[in-house]
Amino acid sequence: MQKQQEGELTMRKSVHWGIITVMIVALALAAAGQVSAQAKKNPYKDPVKIAYLPDNIGDTVGAAWGVGIKREFAYFPNITYQVFDGKLSAETQNQIMTELINQKYDCIILQAHDAAALAASAREAEKQGIPVIDLNLDAQTPHTCLVAMVDYEAGSLVAQEIAKGVGDNGNVVIIEAPPGASRGINVEAGFRDTLKAHPGVKILAAQDGEWLTEKGNTVMRDFLTKYPKINAVFAINDAMAEGASQAAAAAGRKMIIWGADGEKKALQYIEQGKLTGTIYTNCYDEGATAARMALYAIGAEINGSKFTKTPIIKMAPIVVTKDTVASIAEKDRW
Amino acid sequence: MRQETIRRLFSLLLLSILIVAFGATSKLFLTLPNIFTLLREASVTGILAVGVTFVIITAGIDLSTGAIVAFVAMVCANIFYYTTLPVWVALAAGLLIGAGAGYLNGLLVTRLHLPDFIATLSTQGIFRGLALIIAIRSSTGSISNKVITNQGFLLLGDRVSVVYLVTIAFFVVALLGQGILKMTPLGTHTYAIGSSRKSADLSGINSDRVKKVAFTISGICSAVGALFLTARMQTAIPELGTGLEFDVIAAVVIGGCAFSGGRGDVFGSVVGALFMAILTNGIYKYNLPAAFHIIIKGCVIIIMVIFDSVYHRRMDDRIRKAGKMLDQAAAAAEAAGGGAGGIS
Repeated sequence: MQKQQEGELTMRKSVHWGIITVMIVALALAAAGQVSAQAKKNPYKDPVKIAYLPDNIGDTVGAAWGVGIKREFAYFPNITYQVFDGKLSAETQNQIMTELINQKYDCIILQAHDAAALAASAREAEKQGIPVIDLNLDAQTPHTCLVAMVDYEAGSLVAQEIAKGVGDNGNVVIIEAPPGASRGINVEAGFRDTLKAHPGVKILAAQDGEWLTEKGNTVMRDFLTKYPKINAVFAINDAMAEGASQAAAAAGRKMIIWGADGEKKALQYIEQGKLTGTIYTNCYDEGATAARMALYAIGAEINGSKFTKTPIIKMAPIVVTKDTVASIAEKDRW
Repeated sequence: MRQETIRRLFSLLLLSILIVAFGATSKLFLTLPNIFTLLREASVTGILAVGVTFVIITAGIDLSTGAIVAFVAMVCANIFYYTTLPVWVALAAGLLIGAGAGYLNGLLVTRLHLPDFIATLSTQGIFRGLALIIAIRSSTGSISNKVITNQGFLLLGDRVSVVYLVTIAFFVVALLGQGILKMTPLGTHTYAIGSSRKSADLSGINSDRVKKVAFTISGICSAVGALFLTARMQTAIPELGTGLEFDVIAAVVIGGCAFSGGRGDVFGSVVGALFMAILTNGIYKYNLPAAFHIIIKGCVIIIMVIFDSVYHRRMDDRIRKAGKMLDQAAAAAEAAGGGAGGIS
């Protein structure tokens, strides 16, 4: 009886292991049979899927790009255009990139949260034949294209304006971009390098404002508490500049405040005298340019994985102050 | 059938419903690349969840796991950027730091008698700050995250045939964790102090030691997760793992662990991690607006917690009723036996 039971147990175990082995072999064979190949497509006629993955869907710059992209794709009903949210997280963006690669999207328009962290995903997408068009924040790997606001040059322009504004003699604080954001690094580099030619202008401090108005406000309040004499502030984006402006106004301190983006609220602040200036870029155009590049890349079957350097398209900047703000038409204010 | 078994079957049932629902409504869901991707996404959360399971069973909580991930990742990045030390040194350093971080949490809770929530919330800030301090910087002082090029290390982000290494590691860690919980005195003591700290102390269990070990295990699991995540992303960034602790805790709770302690196991946490990954993956298939992702996840977690609360209350009532009936039967038997023969 016992021997019979032992025999049954052994047979059951063998059956179980047999089923598991067959499943593993079947999975492996099925996986081996999975071949991904993107057929040549006419992006203006054939059904194509294009994804837009900004760092943060709530950001004004990202939203303006999205509008520009949508306007461009509206001319082509064959295009399925989907927006995802990076939630200010490199891990989330990587997860979404993997999802987009698995879903065999035809192109990805990406604003990388961090240059290094998105490099592997961008490389994988390009390897799978999916062109990656970056906006402003670039992934640290050669890929199809980067469409960017001027960054280094923007920082340099602001430095010149601030140096002029303080008469080549004064104290400046910087509200920085989050660490790793390539645009922020380049803008700040342009600012600092240009200020070297104006030794009378001293940079007192620089702190991360996380691209956000609230954080920019907090950082500025800290600066105001710590430094009794601040002549100028440079915030790497307009949202942080607005926060800085609110903090300075609340403290009753007048100073030169510059941002860099050219968003609608910043232009209004300039008209109202709350901000000194900004470097304006037409973000609707920038998004539309990325969209056009996406269609071109799909149709031309560009293989970004073979590039040694990423081609860059830089959008023309406009230095906006109280004197020039009226030149930005309402329809171009984002 | 045991209470635990029923709870486990319920989790598996929910998981199956989710798989069937997504599989039926999206042709991309049950494809092999998606399945293995989904497993990869579940793996880092799952590895951390194994460690946090130990802490939650002791009626504790660990909010520092995400920050430990960032700190360990940054240490590895520094080793690869500034030195030519072999890969095993970076791996060993990462694991030691994870263990040390976990042990520190244990010390704060047992020696300084800080509540788990406060202690690990504080160390979350400390480890996150340390990650920022040691972040690689450019000559101007701004943080400049570097791509890791050490091929030996990057293998951790790779696969064996179609299965990602991190997925294999997840199941190995889960098996080890479940083995420790269910087959060792440490596991028994972990449940004991979670069920009733006082009773455990009176039974001679060194509760402080068990707590420290639980936090150390959580720290080591965070380090293991960090190594795989860093290899996958091929870099370390100071904000790595931000918010990860909440996904991990959600996975553990969905898997059946109660915050009150004494309940749950690693198997449940594995199911919980898979559940969260399948939910996220399935939602992406529908291309819903981003806000829906958070709302749906939040609703699912609330439903699971409510179910757990109601289910365990019902089970506890049943056990209490059964206990009362047994007491009454025993009293009746004693009365009948005492009346018949007296005491000799």
